[in-house]
Amino acid sequence: MSTPETGPASSWLWSWRDVRPAPGKGGGPGRGRRSSPLSWRWGDRLVLVLAWLVGGLLCLIAGSIVVYMGVRGIEYLSPSVIFSHPTIAENGATSGGFLDPLLGTMLLTVIGIVLALPLGLVCATWLVEYGRPAWLARVVESSIEIVAGTPDIVIAIFGLALFQVRLLAPLSVTAEGGGVFGRSFIAAGALMSLLALPPIYTASRDGLQGVPSHMREAAFALGKTRITTIRRVLVPNVRSNIATGAVLGISRMIGSTAIVLILLGGFGRFEPQGAMPAIGLLRGTGSSLTSYVYYNSPAGEGVAPQKAYAAAFVLLIFVLALNLIVERIGRSQARAAGLAKSTPGS
Amino acid sequence: MALLERLKRPWPDHRAERMLGAVSLLVGVAIIAMVVFVVTRAWPIFQHNGISWLTGGASLEQEFARMSAASASPTAADYQLRAWPLIYGTLITTVMAVVLGLIVGLLASIFIVELAPARVSRAVIPMVRLLASIPSVVYGLIGILVLVPYVGNHLVTEHERRAMQGTVQLTGAGLGVTVVILTVMITPIMIALICEALVAVPSSWREGAVALGLNPLRAVRAVTLPAIRPAIVAAAVLATARALGEAVMIQMVSGGKSFAPRPGDGITFLWEPLRTLASAIVDYREGLASPPLKAAIYSFALLLLFAAFAMSISGYLVKLPLRKYQTRG
Amino acid sequence: MHRIRRLSVALAVTGALGVAAPAAANASALVTISGATSSYPLVALLAAKYNKLHPNKIRFKITQGGTTVGLNDVKAGSVTIADVAQEPTSADAGLDFYPIAKYAICVVTNKSNPVSNLTTAQITSIFTGKTKEWGSALGATATGPIDVFTRTSVAGVLTSFKSLLLEGKSVVSSATEEATEGLMRQAVESTPSGIGFLSNYQANKGGLNVVSVGGVACNQTTAAAGQYPGVSVFWEVTKGPATGAAAAFIHWIDSSAAAKKIIASQWVVIPPS
Repeated sequence: MSTPETGPASSWLWSWRDVRPAPGKGGGPGRGRRSSPLSWRWGDRLVLVLAWLVGGLLCLIAGSIVVYMGVRGIEYLSPSVIFSHPTIAENGATSGGFLDPLLGTMLLTVIGIVLALPLGLVCATWLVEYGRPAWLARVVESSIEIVAGTPDIVIAIFGLALFQVRLLAPLSVTAEGGGVFGRSFIAAGALMSLLALPPIYTASRDGLQGVPSHMREAAFALGKTRITTIRRVLVPNVRSNIATGAVLGISRMIGSTAIVLILLGGFGRFEPQGAMPAIGLLRGTGSSLTSYVYYNSPAGEGVAPQKAYAAAFVLLIFVLALNLIVERIGRSQARAAGLAKSTPGS
Repeated sequence: MALLERLKRPWPDHRAERMLGAVSLLVGVAIIAMVVFVVTRAWPIFQHNGISWLTGGASLEQEFARMSAASASPTAADYQLRAWPLIYGTLITTVMAVVLGLIVGLLASIFIVELAPARVSRAVIPMVRLLASIPSVVYGLIGILVLVPYVGNHLVTEHERRAMQGTVQLTGAGLGVTVVILTVMITPIMIALICEALVAVPSSWREGAVALGLNPLRAVRAVTLPAIRPAIVAAAVLATARALGEAVMIQMVSGGKSFAPRPGDGITFLWEPLRTLASAIVDYREGLASPPLKAAIYSFALLLLFAAFAMSISGYLVKLPLRKYQTRG
Repeated sequence: MHRIRRLSVALAVTGALGVAAPAAANASALVTISGATSSYPLVALLAAKYNKLHPNKIRFKITQGGTTVGLNDVKAGSVTIADVAQEPTSADAGLDFYPIAKYAICVVTNKSNPVSNLTTAQITSIFTGKTKEWGSALGATATGPIDVFTRTSVAGVLTSFKSLLLEGKSVVSSATEEATEGLMRQAVESTPSGIGFLSNYQANKGGLNVVSVGGVACNQTTAAAGQYPGVSVFWEVTKGPATGAAAAFIHWIDSSAAAKKIIASQWVVIPPS
């Protein structure tokens, strides 16, 4: 998802599985002798019908998007398509795959997570465990909120301005006349990390705040310094929170199109710069699944909507898989919490 | 090597605190850098137009054409910009989508938490999550390949087309499709926030209302909704921020014409094409070699940045007086 | 123990990244190209063929953006070569124009509206907004208002179209502007009452009705024979005379048989003068 959400929405949407308590426990509104809608007034009945319609509509929209993407995507999708390179052939509409965009998406995600995970973790840890001076804590908290609320396109434009500065010329390619291109995998990955930062930060912060103080006190009693406690005790304890945040961040990064369109500068294959193998790849341009979908849609070249559908379908699969992972982490987390609650003193 | 040994030993707390604090400060530095970069690059537009570049009156397409054609040493006339149609387009899509989304989101949240049987809720929630995580380019793809042709071929009548001929063309890509897809994109966020707040309301409040004879729906209206007003505000603010920043999807389905849709046109209002600040940035992202166009693009980004800041601040301010209604955890 | 494992994982990942990079990472010269969307398919094909025949000599980075964007880029020094689809003007002093192919500008309508022929006068009157409705007078089966599609102002095809088929007049201001040829194509394909203009490569891909102008069909053959009135030139433009890798590439396009074969497949080869 490419949403500039702040903490509450992103973590709640995934951690809130049991919105309705299990039946038979007597909890929940109107359990037991629930007033039948037949006894309500007309206005209320209308609202009830509307509410059901809205709920059904949402399910319908979600389901039809997935089904439609599946049906249209499968038309063009095949193992050869996934593993072959984009071609620049005459019949570009029916040939060529999207291996490079696929790898490009993964590469960007890796760069983004490598930059965002330490940064988010450090910010959350510092805020929860130290947090002095207070004004600095407020600054950090507000900054991350601002990053979360900034539109993707503004982040992308800022990234372009940033990486076109002469100082950062080695991180992309420089044209003959001296203009720094400013678009490369490094540039796009670096700005993508800003997308993943808020979810990781919020998840880590909530996790660390949720660690009971007796764990810290036990570690201090054993003579550990604060930083060692953090490293050896607290951070491993909130691994699942961090994982949730990371997966949410990855989901956001995978879906971001604006940053890729503006900062990745390529249409199909990887175009590395310079002689060194790995660095050249990072300095070069390429494409990702989202920009591939965009360029094959009528908004780009428009000649191959079936390729766009296929790539969009693959994107949807990724997103669904990530959603499932988050759900699984959430469930195991709840189970662990349940276990901890049931055996106090452990 | 001795240095490495010293680094490997556990750090004293004050050094660790300072290091961690310094790294955390990087985020604040990034924000400041963002503002500085965008402002400096947008400055030429203010320099040549004053504040009047926010108004309308001139043909934006012609201004863009002049800017694109400007060489490396542009004249002052090349910088002329009257960006009101873009601002208007941004405002109208955002406001319509947020209002629609609030209604839908509120209904859906009440449905999920209060009215639906538990089994149905448990099925609906993953659907909402899915809608929240679909990338915007996929929404744009469906919009441009499915919705826009449908609207253009089946909903726009010849009479309407003839009425608008000479002003603008109605091809299906326009306000209606944009608002519909934007609403679908921002509603899940609102549903998440409102559901979270609904669940946090102590059930005793609701049970008290039911005990007094209200049906569950009225109980919600009387008791729960006032209690979650801060959450509704937060949801609206978050959704507005999201809608403001949506660039790619809108660029794909909005028709790409710098025209300000006129509500007075009746149903044609929904078919009229438009352009928003964010979609204009995507449209002209290749034209950065021309200095006036570059300044114009950064000025749009500056407006969006201000809007995002304003959203954060206003959300905070609006929630302050409502704090007394917040439920205790 | 942990540290060694972490180090080895890091090394393995870096090594894998390095190995995975394509071998072209060793190419020496970089040629950046930007400009017309209409000549992009041709230039991309030519660049790919050049790389196949002379591997590891030149690395191409081709973007689009429109003819004017390309001209601005090459003037500012951001790119080596600009793809241009319009004639040079007085504003382009200091730039060297090298023609590589000719193309025809075709007028297209939706498949459901098979207009077979239009005169230049009719085309002018439709695109300038004087003729507002379809009807049998135009030989159209469609009825109702005409939806005119045009290109954004940076497009070279638009400039050429205006001078060749529109008697120099401007397209009506209410026309919808499309940023690329692909978008123009999609717009006309999905609007039954639409009319637009495309380079012959895009127009003849199928899915659109190509209108003959003055009785002459719009395709590669008539363009090569000089019968079709709307024929313009794709240029490769450099700042000053082309040097180095750019010169090698342009010279190769001019002289090599492989390049001629590619050009002749969809476009018109420029006879050596």
